[in-house]
Amino acid sequence: MPSSTERSTPATPEEEGTPDPAEGAADSAETEKPEPAAEETAKAENGTESADTTDTTESADTTESAEPTDTTDTTDTEEPEGRAAGRVGVGRRRLALAVSVFGELLITAGAVLALFVVYSLWWTNVLANQEAERDGNAVRENWAAAEDDDGDDRTSPATFEPEDGLGFLHVPTMTGADILVKEGIDLDILNGGVAGYYDEPVQSAMPWDEEGNFSVAAHRDGHGAKFHNIQRIEEGDPIVFETKNTWYIYRAYAILPETSRYNTAVLDPIPEESGKTEAGQYITLTTCTPVYTSEHRYIVWGELERTEHVNAQRDLPQELLEFQDD
Amino acid sequence: MYGWIWRHLPGNVLVRALISLVLVLGVVYLLFQYIFPWAEPLLPFNDVTVDDGGEETGT
Repeated sequence: MPSSTERSTPATPEEEGTPDPAEGAADSAETEKPEPAAEETAKAENGTESADTTDTTESADTTESAEPTDTTDTTDTEEPEGRAAGRVGVGRRRLALAVSVFGELLITAGAVLALFVVYSLWWTNVLANQEAERDGNAVRENWAAAEDDDGDDRTSPATFEPEDGLGFLHVPTMTGADILVKEGIDLDILNGGVAGYYDEPVQSAMPWDEEGNFSVAAHRDGHGAKFHNIQRIEEGDPIVFETKNTWYIYRAYAILPETSRYNTAVLDPIPEESGKTEAGQYITLTTCTPVYTSEHRYIVWGELERTEHVNAQRDLPQELLEFQDD
Repeated sequence: MYGWIWRHLPGNVLVRALISLVLVLGVVYLLFQYIFPWAEPLLPFNDVTVDDGGEETGT
């Protein structure tokens, strides 16, 4: 150690660029011992204090690399080694900085993804339920305001706008809430916390049509998640659609727990996959499955059992009253 | 990165902590209000309808 420091003393500030690498190589055998020690201390410095100590680490490097015995002939003897260590330190600090920034970016990405989950599964529900409640109330107010119509859904008053809401779906085994049904299955409709009846690729029939398939879709998760518990529906369960004047009471008769997302045949006027071969008044519920993904589609078919006229108090039909008591 | 931001915030620790909180809330607001709604339809998590996807229907 002393020999190395003495030999390096002649190095002037101008020359220091050239002799240093050679010196370093020549000295490497002799200075092996102190260098790793210096490295370790520098590493320790970087590790513990990180980027906060950019200014102090340099001085720490130089002072720590010099052994305690050298303190007497410090300044000039120590300088070249100190600079070499400083240069290594700069590289290492840059690396440490890059690593720490990279790490912080990774942490940030993780936090953003976690927030996205919160957004998808919670916040969209909050917004959608607010919107659905507002729209649902508007529909009911609209119904209440137009009491003077002839009581036939097919000739509803001019104020009737399917995009505002056609009626409410009640599936008591799936959810205790009523689900507003609007026209269309675009995301800007479904994201409002409602179910939409298909307008493409297949035009859905209306419940009051003589025959056909009333097909609706809703979210399984997020945006109200109206069909979240669709797997609770069992064959024989009531599916009730409420319009201004009529309760349409369907019974679930077939369930397809998983099918291709391209299987539009499930929407056919006579959904043959459900086992039906004759025209009738059907209802089809579609949503995605498994939960939290959009890999496949879950289908529930129902067939109209009976209809009931809505009375002035909008009393629930028998099929729904059973579940009210629970 | 965050250390750099922290060092460049004015005031004492309490003030910096408050400003940091405001910044974080601002970022969360931007994410929830603009970025997530924009990104969500691009991600395949929420398709609930059957469609022909431009191909022959039925399986």
